[in-house]
Amino acid sequence: MNELVNKLRQGNRRALARAMSSVGATGHAESSLEVCLRESTGQVPWWGFTGPPGVGKSTLLDALLVHLREHGRRVGVVAVDPTSTRSDGALLGDRVRMMRHAVDDGVFIRSLATHGHHGGLSDATLHCARLLELAGYDPVLIETVGVGQNEVEIRSVADLCVVVLGPGYGDDIQLVKAGLLEIADVVAVNKCDLPEAQRLVNEVRQEFAAAARDIEVVAIEAKSGNGVPELLQRLFELDRARRTETAEASRGRRRTLGEIRRRTEFSCRQALGRAMTGPEVEQWITKLNRGECSLATVISRLAALALAELQQEADDG
Amino acid sequence: MRKLDQAGQQDLTSCTVDAHPPKRILIGKVGLDGHDRGAKFLIRALRDAGYEVIYTGIRRTPEQIVQTAIDEDVDVIGLSLLSGAHNQLFARVAELLKEEGVEDVVLLAGGTIPEKDVPYLEALGFRHVFTPGAPVSEILSALQQELSSRE
Ligand code: B12
Ligand SMILES: Nc1nc2c(ncn2[C@@H]2O[C@H](COP(=O)(O)OP(=O)(O)OP(=O)(O)O)[C@@H](O)[C@H]2O)c(=O)[nH]1
Ligand SMILES: [Mg+2]
Repeated sequence: MNELVNKLRQGNRRALARAMSSVGATGHAESSLEVCLRESTGQVPWWGFTGPPGVGKSTLLDALLVHLREHGRRVGVVAVDPTSTRSDGALLGDRVRMMRHAVDDGVFIRSLATHGHHGGLSDATLHCARLLELAGYDPVLIETVGVGQNEVEIRSVADLCVVVLGPGYGDDIQLVKAGLLEIADVVAVNKCDLPEAQRLVNEVRQEFAAAARDIEVVAIEAKSGNGVPELLQRLFELDRARRTETAEASRGRRRTLGEIRRRTEFSCRQALGRAMTGPEVEQWITKLNRGECSLATVISRLAALALAELQQEADDG
Repeated sequence: MRKLDQAGQQDLTSCTVDAHPPKRILIGKVGLDGHDRGAKFLIRALRDAGYEVIYTGIRRTPEQIVQTAIDEDVDVIGLSLLSGAHNQLFARVAELLKEEGVEDVVLLAGGTIPEKDVPYLEALGFRHVFTPGAPVSEILSALQQELSSRE
């Protein structure tokens, strides 16, 4: 363990890569590495990037990496793509946009799949980001999957949320409704080389004005890099405010709370899933259909079953 | 792999995690070769077969391929080349992997590769070489076999 942590701190990339694979996403008893990570990280703010599919999040990260490197930063990236709905497989395509940084010693990129987790992030995200922090990467950038509606979980993980929007997504107003703008610390309107983009910039600014929120809306072209230095300046300003001691304390609390929530939800769902496929279910169906019991009874029995199983697991672990 | 149950159970049971997480495979294209139809065809087939696929895109250096494979901690590296430069470029990838001490990764090769070059590539460590017309089923079962023999 200590040896692994030493290797990580010395910048051993293979050790880092291996450690990232070792996350206990199955809800098993956590490893000593996970405990150590929770203890020894929390100083570095994580920057989250979210927005609709194909809006240019990865391309923006690629451009930001160039400038962050010019500022002498060593940068870690966790990029999440969706697990297929048809198989357990996934195309992890974010990295294709960032390949020019592949052999840069000061950049470490890791691709993750959502693994049936529906919050736009993967269970391994937190683990990988913490490892990057431990290995001395600062800042850590997190790209979520292309979000649709209420997948705003990034807010509980990242210290700074960049919402990326772009023209041509007819449902932008729906995104506004679904709370995507609510989680933004900055909005980057990408693809401003396209004609409809300026209108979108104005619309989003009006939206914030109406809500009396002072959120900057930056017009960018991730592909050419236009506007990206301005966005980065804004991010540095916000980042500075997050490096105070109080910010650090609340960061530790928020990350752990998010972790508790995700893991608890995950374990409960799993246990419930097993209870739902257990042998008792058939009897309950029959009883319900005959009017011999109420749905509330069934719910409480199944929940109790799941709970007992969780308790058993904890005792065994 | 994942159960697709009826009756709305899918949401719950789909959360039941396999003891074995999906294997990770990198599909890479080295050199100036721009033929990417085969590689793109393959990454979809692999995803649908349950693999997590990292695609590098075209025109990468052997160094980029190897560093990416290390950082992503992949189980398999598959290289695709149709330009004819496979002997040199694939040898460089194999050499770099050796330098980095990466020995436990399955190496696969594919593309327009003449029969006479196959023994050379095999000697470099490539476990299989697939040429135009190779059925996907054959590729997938060879891969499966390689991986299960390493469990
Ligand atoms: C379509 C094609 C093109 C398209 C490419 C479109 C694209 N984006 O891919 C276009 C028209 C652009 C093109 C251009 C050229 N082409 Co061309 N092209 C072909 C052609 C007809 C088919 C290739 C193809 O897409 N096949 C379909 C896919 C699905 O098959 P595949 O890639 O072979 O993959 C299969 C297997 O090989 C295997 N596989 C492949 N990779 C991998 C990797 C792994 C890990 C695994 C497990 C399996 C695997 O699995 C797949 C499924 O079976 C071939 C001839 C041929 N029959 O192969 C020539 C061919 C490859 N082209 C050739 C040439 C010379 C060129 C040009 C240089 C022509 C020119 N002078 O301009 C240019 C160069 C382009 C460039 N930038 O590199 C030559 C190469 C000669 C050589 N090897 O010595 C070929 C062989 C034709 C010939 N007989 O002369 N080409
Ligand atoms: N016109 C234009 N296209 C851009 C710009 N930035 C990115 N794109 C293109 O938008 C497409 C999607 O880019 P990505 O960076 O992969 O988008 P993403 O948001 O990461 O996509 P997902 O991760 O799949 O949700 C690519 O074809 C990019 O080239 C831009 O500034 N202008
Ligand atoms: Mg992306």
